[in-house]
Amino acid sequence: MIKRNQPVLLKRITKMKQATDVTEYRKYDGFSGLLNAIEMEKAAILDELDLAHLRGRGGAAFPLGKKWRHLYSSKSDTKYIVCNADEGEPGTFKDKALLEHDPLSVIEGMVIAGYLFSAKAGYIYMRGEYRRIQKIFQEALDNAEQAGFLGENILGIPGFDYKITIISGAGAYVCGENSALLNSIEGKTGRPRVKPPHLADVGLYLQPTLVNNVESFAGIPVILREGGQAYRDLGTEDGGGTKLICLSGHIKNRGLYEVNLGTPLQEILYSEEYGGGSSTGRTLKFIHFGGQSGPIGALRNLDDCIYSYEGLWDKDLSIGSGAIVVMDEQVSIVDYLVNVAAFFAHESCGKCTPCRLGTTRILELLTKFNTQTAVAGDLERLEKMLMHVTNLSACGLGQSVANPMKSGLAYFPEEFEAGIQKVAAPVKGGLW
Amino acid sequence: MNSLSLSEKEAIILANDSDPQRILNILIAIQYDSEEGYIDEETAKLVAERLHLSQARVYEILSFYAILKTEPQAKYVLKICNSTPCLYTGGGMLSEMLETILEVPADEPTPDGLFMYHSIPCIGACDQGPVIKIKDTVFGDLTEAKVYQLIDDLQNGCYQEL
Repeated sequence: MIKRNQPVLLKRITKMKQATDVTEYRKYDGFSGLLNAIEMEKAAILDELDLAHLRGRGGAAFPLGKKWRHLYSSKSDTKYIVCNADEGEPGTFKDKALLEHDPLSVIEGMVIAGYLFSAKAGYIYMRGEYRRIQKIFQEALDNAEQAGFLGENILGIPGFDYKITIISGAGAYVCGENSALLNSIEGKTGRPRVKPPHLADVGLYLQPTLVNNVESFAGIPVILREGGQAYRDLGTEDGGGTKLICLSGHIKNRGLYEVNLGTPLQEILYSEEYGGGSSTGRTLKFIHFGGQSGPIGALRNLDDCIYSYEGLWDKDLSIGSGAIVVMDEQVSIVDYLVNVAAFFAHESCGKCTPCRLGTTRILELLTKFNTQTAVAGDLERLEKMLMHVTNLSACGLGQSVANPMKSGLAYFPEEFEAGIQKVAAPVKGGLW
Repeated sequence: MNSLSLSEKEAIILANDSDPQRILNILIAIQYDSEEGYIDEETAKLVAERLHLSQARVYEILSFYAILKTEPQAKYVLKICNSTPCLYTGGGMLSEMLETILEVPADEPTPDGLFMYHSIPCIGACDQGPVIKIKDTVFGDLTEAKVYQLIDDLQNGCYQEL
């Protein structure tokens, strides 16, 4: 039985001495999700996933059951399973913990997917910055294969052949976008593809492909071990399960925590069990949720906020990757956003013009506000530019640049207005 | 130019099954194992040949991914995280400090070839900001005193593994 307010995904991390050891992993319920799955009808596995209502933990929050059903109905003899471990979203370090301290849970989730979709090949694309963890993960893969959970005729089932290969990233935020990630696995530059077609129809090497986040895969064994309903009960109506959250910024107890979806935000920020309040002694001002591409919330509006999908949607916010970056009152929102914009301008892959040039223009405009050299009309230009970049960019990177900017503008308009020169600029020498 | 011998490079390629899917694994391993910390022309040609890829493809990859370098690097490249969680918890001081201590601008090696520094986006250590990363090692929760100590220690060869 799993209970609320107890770690589910991080349960083993504190107990296991050797994270890659299969025997020890099994001692703490490891591989029992897979063992249940192979006894079930495949359709019943999908039913449990739907019941669990696990939303994709990479950031997009798309119901995992629906994604898996889509791939299940794709007609092809070759299907690929891909784990997105390109955790590059600033403020996020949750996947690192699973990859390093409980790699077998991610592997178990991927093997269940391999079984369900009769896939022969799985890939885990892990960011280059986690090179040391790639070695740990490889050790876990080797141990799992030796124990008969990977390789040929897995668990004695004829034809259940499945291997997982680690592909390293090499420092490109955009590769966290699923189609860019697939291009990178194919040994190309990681620039996103134009979608549709959906990756569940035309993915890796043009075959139907499942791409899920590390934390999503780690949740799958829990669902098949405990049942979809039990998993759903850990969360709320709009999303089941627990969520790994990463607290950073001006908060006392920075770090990784696992909370039930539905936990009050105030508890996460101020209780000693979690954040412990401000680290600077100054009042907290705003929170950037879900990484650089997520929205920003003003603390003054978040007294009654519940940390769940619907709880944040109600406030025009979102959970995203699970990053919770907290800033105190000394931080100027415009200055903060300049740095966010610089990140996007740096990380835009350059393939599509609205993103390549748009992110640069946004950075320039925000810098003008920050140096108090903006002029009348710049606010409107900024808003228009944000709209264009959102609507015209081809992939999620460009489409989400405006999230933090728009919420910053909405909650702290006075800080932008303070950046506009009130005195008309002298007319410089002209034709007359 | 590259300090790795041909057979050492070939061993890395073979350890990755000469698999073009793992070109990034291969390039990073060669770069990290070599003293100069970059992929030179000769190595790029070798990788292209062994993976049956065009040289243009390999160069495209080298120029796209931030970790891969095509110029010689200093012995210790100090990478500073400049994303907002780190920047606003003290990260802003790091580039200024390093410029003062090392007396070179970002991305330029010190005359003795020992140090170089530059900013990079998130390295996934936001709970330990401000941080400096050297190869695979993260030095977190830095203060001014710790930065001076780190540079001292590196100069005195205290971190053999780096």
